[in-house]
Amino acid sequence: MSTPEERPPGWLADRVGWGGIKARLSAHRAPRRSFFFYLGGITLFLLVIQVLSGILLVLYYRPDPAHAYESVEQIIGEIPYGNLIHAVHAWTSDLFVACLLAHMFTVVVRRSFRAPHELSWLSGLIALVLGLGLAFTGAILPWTEAAYTHARVGSQLAGQFPLFGAWLRRFLRGGDEVTLGTLGHAYGFHVAALPACLTLLVAVHIFLLFRRPVIRPDTSKQETIPLYPEFVVRLAAAQTGVLVVIMTLAIFSQRALGPAADPTQPTPAGAAPPWYMLPVHAIVRDAPTELLGIDGARFLVGVACVIAVLVAALPFVDRQGSKITAWFAWTALLALLLLAVHALN
Amino acid sequence: MAESDDPKRVPRRDVLGVAVGGSAAAFVLAVVYPVARFVEPPIGPLGGPVVVGRLEEFPVGGAKMVSVNDRPVLVLRSQEGELRAFSALCTHLQCIVAYSAERRQIECPCHRGVYSLDGRNIDGPPPRPLDELAVTVSEGSVIVSSAR
Repeated sequence: MSTPEERPPGWLADRVGWGGIKARLSAHRAPRRSFFFYLGGITLFLLVIQVLSGILLVLYYRPDPAHAYESVEQIIGEIPYGNLIHAVHAWTSDLFVACLLAHMFTVVVRRSFRAPHELSWLSGLIALVLGLGLAFTGAILPWTEAAYTHARVGSQLAGQFPLFGAWLRRFLRGGDEVTLGTLGHAYGFHVAALPACLTLLVAVHIFLLFRRPVIRPDTSKQETIPLYPEFVVRLAAAQTGVLVVIMTLAIFSQRALGPAADPTQPTPAGAAPPWYMLPVHAIVRDAPTELLGIDGARFLVGVACVIAVLVAALPFVDRQGSKITAWFAWTALLALLLLAVHALN
Repeated sequence: MAESDDPKRVPRRDVLGVAVGGSAAAFVLAVVYPVARFVEPPIGPLGGPVVVGRLEEFPVGGAKMVSVNDRPVLVLRSQEGELRAFSALCTHLQCIVAYSAERRQIECPCHRGVYSLDGRNIDGPPPRPLDELAVTVSEGSVIVSSAR
């Protein structure tokens, strides 16, 4: 009996040159024992689920204030399996943001941003911003009471950015007020511009990962496994596990839509932003009205901008990957968790 | 004398490089500028005065929320019958404020901002008073002028 190596390639394998692809993939290596290494692959898998479920939702969603809420209600209540598709999209959105943040956090803690991975780090950070943009615009689309508040407060907070804040607010709102234009802009960016940019960026991110692998050449073979087939099979198993979690959540924990947006009604008491914005909610709620003579919200957004620039410059500032950076990351995580808990009180 | 031997002459390759680079930059600008102008929302028309209801619809000693040129506006009517209109957008982060009859104040439910009934910010994060709008009554109709 012939071994797989001796067998002639199949028709499709021959046409796509599978032998060469396999050889190149097998030459790359991944850590034998490291859960963190799978986070990027899981995040990419979640993005694929988002795109596929999003394409289905677009078939019935109508992006104008008069019909948006009604159309989401129709998807959930009338369209066969609409409830499931909507819940899958909503739960995957939360997991996607969580995985993006966790992926970034582990890169900092493991100091994987060091040279020659500066471009991977920057492309990952831009992907994070685009991912948060997808979550922000997606949360506006159902045009519920919460979505309306989210659009209003989110754009107003963006309006506090130094230099281009006023422009950014108008851009996010699609005009001066949160109206028809806001929904149109959010829809366009959510279904076209942001996914296109994110797909391109993910491609760049993966390309860079192959050109400058995270595993150093001097790492012993005992500590690593070939990227193909071992790592790919393990990643597929992890992705299957994630899919099971998403389906379980989507089936057994429905996402309530909430009341429709009504711009003439006060924001409901206890209104809170999506979970990933809870630390920001706590800070802007409890910070003083004025800090160093500057409007409190404007000051805080300015500080956030400085922190964002420092984070982006991390590979150039901390070239050796100091342990202090990892320690800062853990402290920041703890602080954000405490703020999120505080926001709920 | 050969072209490359004269140090004062600009090499042809450099001239071509500048020409191609300049053309590429012009092309990018010609694409990016119209696109940037297109995605930037147009400035909407200024909103004029709006009839927001009949006087009897506004309870004495109470408040009613109305919409004026896509903006939520809180119209308060005092015990003496005087009408005052405020933009219902909290001056902190623009959540829509609510009138509390129980506490006789205006409250922002998002970040716990509090305003007095004359629109002054008295507690919480709001940095300034609510924007006040002109309100008049003409032949029984309440008219609010947008401040925009």
